[in-house]
Amino acid sequence: MKRGMTHLLIVISYLTLVIFPLILAFDRLIWVSGFNPSNWVNSLEANYISQGVLWFTIKQAFLSTVVTALIAIPIAWQLGRYEWKFESVIKAVLTMPFVMPSIIVTMGFLQITGSNGLSLRDDSSTWLPTLIIAHAWFNSALFIRFCEPVLSNIDPNYLDQIRLLPGGNTRLKRIRNLWAPLLFPSVIAASCMTFVFSFTSFALVRWITIGDNSLESMMASIASSAGIQGYMISHNEIILGASLVQFILLASALWLVSSIQQKRQKQIRQSLEKIVKSKNKTGWLVIGPAITFSVFPLIAVLISSFRIRTTSQTGTHYDWNTSAWNFAFSDNYSLASANDAIFNSLGYATITVLIALPIGWFLSQTIVKVESKNRFLARVLDLFVMIPFAVSSVMIGLGVMIGMIKIDPEFFYSLWITPVFAHVMITTPFVVRILISSRRSIKQDYLECAKVLGLNNKERLFKIELPLMKHSIYIAIIFVIAMSLGEFGASWVVTRNSEWTTLPILIDSLKGVPYNNSLTIPAACAIASILMIFTIITFTIAEKFRKSNTGGMF
Amino acid sequence: MVLVSALCIFTTLSGCLTGLIEEQKIDDGGIPVQSEYDWIDDGELTIVTYDVYGLTPEMIELFENQSGYKVNLLKLDDAGSVLSHLLQHQDNQIADLAIGLDNTYLPIALEYDVLWKHQAEVSNISEEVMGVYQTEYAMPFDHGYVCINYDKSVIDGTNYSVPTSLWDLTNQEFSGKVAIPSPETSSPGRAFMTATTYYFDNDADMNTTWTDWWNAMSKNDVIVTTGWSEAYETHYTGGYGEWIEGYVGDANFVVSYCHSPGVESYFNGDWTKSASLDLDNYAFHQIEYAAAIEGGNLGAASKFIEYLTSYEINSQMPLSNYMYSVLDNTTLPEEMGYLNNSLNPTNPAIISFHEISQNMSSWLEDWNFAMVDV
Amino acid sequence: MLKITNLSKSFEKILFEDFSLEIEPGEIIAITGPSGCGKTTLLRIICGLENSESGEIYVNEKLISNLPPEIRNVGLIFQTPVLYPHFDVENNLRLGDKNGNIQSALKEVNLEGFEKRNIDSLSGGESQRVSIARALLAKPEILLLDEPFSSLDEELSFQLVSDIRKILKMRKCPAILVTHNINIAEKFADRIVSLNK
Repeated sequence: MKRGMTHLLIVISYLTLVIFPLILAFDRLIWVSGFNPSNWVNSLEANYISQGVLWFTIKQAFLSTVVTALIAIPIAWQLGRYEWKFESVIKAVLTMPFVMPSIIVTMGFLQITGSNGLSLRDDSSTWLPTLIIAHAWFNSALFIRFCEPVLSNIDPNYLDQIRLLPGGNTRLKRIRNLWAPLLFPSVIAASCMTFVFSFTSFALVRWITIGDNSLESMMASIASSAGIQGYMISHNEIILGASLVQFILLASALWLVSSIQQKRQKQIRQSLEKIVKSKNKTGWLVIGPAITFSVFPLIAVLISSFRIRTTSQTGTHYDWNTSAWNFAFSDNYSLASANDAIFNSLGYATITVLIALPIGWFLSQTIVKVESKNRFLARVLDLFVMIPFAVSSVMIGLGVMIGMIKIDPEFFYSLWITPVFAHVMITTPFVVRILISSRRSIKQDYLECAKVLGLNNKERLFKIELPLMKHSIYIAIIFVIAMSLGEFGASWVVTRNSEWTTLPILIDSLKGVPYNNSLTIPAACAIASILMIFTIITFTIAEKFRKSNTGGMF
Repeated sequence: MVLVSALCIFTTLSGCLTGLIEEQKIDDGGIPVQSEYDWIDDGELTIVTYDVYGLTPEMIELFENQSGYKVNLLKLDDAGSVLSHLLQHQDNQIADLAIGLDNTYLPIALEYDVLWKHQAEVSNISEEVMGVYQTEYAMPFDHGYVCINYDKSVIDGTNYSVPTSLWDLTNQEFSGKVAIPSPETSSPGRAFMTATTYYFDNDADMNTTWTDWWNAMSKNDVIVTTGWSEAYETHYTGGYGEWIEGYVGDANFVVSYCHSPGVESYFNGDWTKSASLDLDNYAFHQIEYAAAIEGGNLGAASKFIEYLTSYEINSQMPLSNYMYSVLDNTTLPEEMGYLNNSLNPTNPAIISFHEISQNMSSWLEDWNFAMVDV
Repeated sequence: MLKITNLSKSFEKILFEDFSLEIEPGEIIAITGPSGCGKTTLLRIICGLENSESGEIYVNEKLISNLPPEIRNVGLIFQTPVLYPHFDVENNLRLGDKNGNIQSALKEVNLEGFEKRNIDSLSGGESQRVSIARALLAKPEILLLDEPFSSLDEELSFQLVSDIRKILKMRKCPAILVTHNINIAEKFADRIVSLNK
């Protein structure tokens, strides 16, 4: 009974913290605009600000997915089928982009394609390709994470057998009859997730394809006028329509990924022994450029922070100095200083971990325990927990801004930690996913044996469960920190108050300052470099704890 | 779980939760009337604004030294964002002073009662400005006429004729060459849209309306941006944008101010390739206001309004903020061709504050419909 | 027929040295030996999945030692049946011969009507029968079997042994069975060869 109460309390805490603000936000939007879902969806094409946005969002997400697959599958192949010196370092470098905050990537690609680099930006026809390549940069890691383990760990007998059969005695036949079918589920899963992340892209779209909005960037641009009775009612309808479309698409994609993952895990036999792989010198023609591609935007950001460009009628000249760094750290009337932003970012990340980890832990425990008694109930609970996955970060920001804060604005605006609610909403589902997977992998025998040996609940938790799950817990902590540090969409909506400025928001603010100070862009790059260093550190620590080849996103 | 889900779904469908929350707020206490203004002087002044050039660090530092108040700037994207911020924080404002609402945005702020009457003592505002609209809730601090600028080096009268009517801009030769900030988000954009309602009501063609023109512009690939900066810096070929990162330069026309070419000339050393289109009935007299926000530090806000409209600061508006000063007997500088290259419209659009207040919502709706109907 | 001359292989230790073997057309032999003596390795060398250090292999007087496994026309049945989970039974069989008579192949191994079955619905014995049917569809010049019955119970193993021997004899297909079970070796093979250290 007591344990049941604890589980109930946890579920209620989660619903209160995470789901309820979203419900309140939707409730307020409906209060302003009325309940008419078909009107909401129609409003997307019926309003100038949103016309064409859905098509652009789908188009760029689809193209990004295709290009990412074309770039990343050969990389995954090389990593999975061949032996590489410093393989773990190479894999880390190639998968690190996935955890990079989007605003850093934005700055990187703008520096590469802008007047400081290839000077492509004055031709607006290059903007969409730049966006797509930036998405590919981000999401290649997904294909590597999903596909490389299949390639690495597959029972080698599958390959040996088919080579002896007419249906596999040429390379092309083996691709058709073995590799393509075996990789198909992983490729589909990676493609779905790439589509999801490209579909909800915000920072990159905001700055790279100026004038073309994705659903996410469009929602962000009108978010400030949402939920106000009698004002800009069409904006509320647009947000509801966009959220509905997003929810359907994202939920479908996530459902597809999860079914594919489940099915795949049953079917493909893994090798019981470590596979001896051969080396492949020509593979460097793939891996070399891939590594360069991975690090180049980050290096561009760092270099740009020291390179000050000034332009006048006499021409353009560059100086190399640290003045942008000084500017970034200076006190400013309209921009938070880097010190404040660092403090906020690190503080919010720490508090997010302290909240998301216990809630995520208890939720994952609850789901696994309920699973053994009532699979349907467990599935429903799992779905509820995952709702934030199917909602974009801008919508989560709205959940905080017009859902939560509106309950008692004076109270919430006085709290320094208010933005943390958005971070918790975004990261808790990830914690649950990481820990559930780990929890499910603990053999029932271990726990039953512990019971038989006389260990009570607390002893089993501390002596059996926690030690067995510690790697996953460390990964969950690091992941939450990285996501919180880099969180942009929800924070952009919520933190229109300089006391709450985080590193990504400060970078965006600096980028958005008009021209009259040649230091603002390099200062944005300086802040981005700081954020980059924090992210690399957290990622490197996570890699040390990662058990290889789980075949999933984490 | 099923019951909780059903409850959540039901309340989501009805908007009733929000209704309850809002009713509770009214029960807790309404909006104070003038006699009940109760404000705390915490020694700080938070200003919500967009990128008003005139709010330089030096200018703010001087105010801080003179007044003793510490200033925080909350910079948003544009005038639309400033208004949304005020409405979003109704009854729980976090700023004390709003700078940048103009005479097209101010009516809504007044309607929603998010402003307090200021206590600033200001006396020498020009009649030209005060005649547009006078209120104790907001003080003008700069003004100008919104009109269309064009690149003389391209629209030179030989290769391309200078338009003699707004309808000329809908011709194929100007397809994709006009950049206009959105009236939904930008104050110059909204000002220009407002002016077109007057222009097309008073042009010779009785068969077409202002929405017909916007519809035609939409079909002619007009570039609509979120804010003035993007239109002027990214797209316009006649201004300083070519020195700016991200410059595209695909528009030879832009909605800006009639005196913008004067600003260009001043900073280019008495030369500019930008000019203002001189047509009757289309230039809009825009006034920008500073307004004390409900529940804020009224004393500090009033002090800043006095500072902003002081001769020391306000007379410098043409050079610090690239707008006209609101003070009597001031004009644009003559140096470097500032005054010479600035158009002073003889027959601007005439639209009262009251008309704007009454019609803005429906104008925006009509504009939206016209732009979408392609 | 198969002829192996002076085959040697080491892997951390000598597995076999100067091993020679001849198999007559249609002959079925069993190779026995203790664990780790190199029985599986021998089969993998014959079909080309591994290389020997020295020696030659001839099939029907054709030297195949230098040929890749794809063109040696040697079939191999693995210890754990290697059926592809993305194909049903029929499509797994078509890997052996895409135009082959699937019904006839299934009938031969007593699995009539199994065409559309999913791989994961098959029992161990059924999976191994499908593997064998597939291998035979490819018409190998020799069939190698690497302890294919080790994961099955004895009664089932013996049934399978008997059925497969009958098929191989009908087809006159030479075969090598590797097993550590002497009873199975005796039941299956015409001759037993011991691969001792």
